[in-house]
Amino acid sequence: MGMNDKKLKEFRQREKRKKLNNLFQNLLLTFFVLLFGFPIYWIFIGAFKEKGEFFSYPPIFWVSHFKFDNFIRALSMGGSKGTVDSLIVACIGTVLVVILALFAGYGLGRFKFGGPNLSFFVLSLLFAPPIIAVLPLFFIFKYLRIVDTYLALIWSYLLINLPFAIWLIKGFIEDLPEEIESAALVDGHSRFGAFRKVTFPLIIPGVVVSALFVFVFAWNEFLFALMFTRSNVRTLPVVLSELIGGHGIQWGELSALSLIAIIPGVILVVFFQKYLVRGLTFGAIKG
Amino acid sequence: MKEISTNALMGRNSFAKRITLPSIIILLVTVVGPLGFLLYASFFDWSLTVPAPPRFAWFYNFILVFKDTRFWNAFKNTSVLMIAGIIAQSILGLIIAFLLNRQFRFKKLAITILALPIMVTPVVLGFNWRIIFHEHYGPLNYIIRLLGGAGSSWIADPKLALFSIFLVDTWQWTPFVTLILLAGLQSIPHQVYEATDVDGATGWQTFWRITLPLLRPMFVLVILFRIIWIFKIFDPVYILTGGGPGITTETLSLYTYISWVKYWKVGYTSALALVQLVIMNIIAMVFVRKVMQRRRA
Repeated sequence: MGMNDKKLKEFRQREKRKKLNNLFQNLLLTFFVLLFGFPIYWIFIGAFKEKGEFFSYPPIFWVSHFKFDNFIRALSMGGSKGTVDSLIVACIGTVLVVILALFAGYGLGRFKFGGPNLSFFVLSLLFAPPIIAVLPLFFIFKYLRIVDTYLALIWSYLLINLPFAIWLIKGFIEDLPEEIESAALVDGHSRFGAFRKVTFPLIIPGVVVSALFVFVFAWNEFLFALMFTRSNVRTLPVVLSELIGGHGIQWGELSALSLIAIIPGVILVVFFQKYLVRGLTFGAIKG
Repeated sequence: MKEISTNALMGRNSFAKRITLPSIIILLVTVVGPLGFLLYASFFDWSLTVPAPPRFAWFYNFILVFKDTRFWNAFKNTSVLMIAGIIAQSILGLIIAFLLNRQFRFKKLAITILALPIMVTPVVLGFNWRIIFHEHYGPLNYIIRLLGGAGSSWIADPKLALFSIFLVDTWQWTPFVTLILLAGLQSIPHQVYEATDVDGATGWQTFWRITLPLLRPMFVLVILFRIIWIFKIFDPVYILTGGGPGITTETLSLYTYISWVKYWKVGYTSALALVQLVIMNIIAMVFVRKVMQRRRA
């Protein structure tokens, strides 16, 4: 009996320690979540603050009024033009990139077209800093007289997004064994028929994820938009940067516009979390 | 079975060519144009502020790059951000990944909130942190004063400006490191830990001898991606400090931008760009050898 009592006591102690440990870990995690979530919360709350509420000390951490004045003013201050232009560039660019990448990714993934050299070429483009393309593209666009047009932006985003989408879709294709197409080939389908009827339906999730990433990259992009547009085309990040650098700080309007700007990225994180790591590591880690 | 293979082989190569080439040609055209221009321009003494026509100058621009103290300053700043970032984000990321690698309620919510910074528009991030860093009305100084500190002017202080950029970078990219390491932790089978439990290993022993070595490939990934991203960093620095005060926060991307947009040096900027391209290509080769081949095997 004494033995059992001792064991029971030990067991209880261990359970208690485990519980305490767990509580500590939960508290620490809560701290980190608050820490990393705070700046996003600050954008959100800023979008509803009135002008005076930005310039008060101590800072105001909560507002009780949720009026959309900041949004309305922000949209009339170039925000609506920015939103529409960003949508145009990102949508057209995404459709173009995904169609091109689907075929190239299939050829590279399924048939090892061009061997390791072509694959390496595509991958190395993903690593190159975009800044190095700014100067040559500027001369090319100027020569073609397309500076400050949608075409210039869509073209320059191709340089960033096409290698990315090819690489990602190539990975999704490589996940599928080639044998699944054999059956369709036996049934008398053409190669393209086998791709369309068998492979394509299976990689639709991969295509959707690639499209979303490409859309968000184009939507968020700032450097090329800053360099290749003037007044005809003004994407959201450019509008934002001009408001930031402008006279008289309009923090409320800026926060409202910021909130609109981060929507696509937030959607990607909230609804496609499963693929986030895979996309960001160029397919090196499969979630 | 024989029928299929001949049938499949027959059209295979020509089909592969037909389906791949159009996209690859478009990609090549978008790349070869700019690259050709860079190669050409980098050999010329060419500036838009000088009325003289471009003059062929051999490797003059490349020599200028390596003699340029401002280039080395940008290189130093980029390296500092890179190394400090890798260390801080790996440690923080590992801690958070361990905290997440348990069963608890709201797990998905916690991961979602933590992952949000990764996808925030970089310009928004720059603006948002400008408010947070604000000397008088910013919440950061408010909290520091609550805790008894004096507060600082952060991005306006030459001593703290680069550190402020580091803070923003760490805020944005620790979640990314966390997700990579979490994926690594989740791929370690339970049996490994059960075996060490039986052997009576302490928590620390398990961590140093088992977990950390198994996470090694993930750390290689983290380091490589941090290098890639820090070479690309432009928007937040441009918005937050514009490279200032002085040139204390000028990164390679920002300096390349300035040498073109502010000084209109065509030849020099081209050389500067090519140097960065070569560095990144070497890193890409390492990446392919270390990571992509392991994956294929």
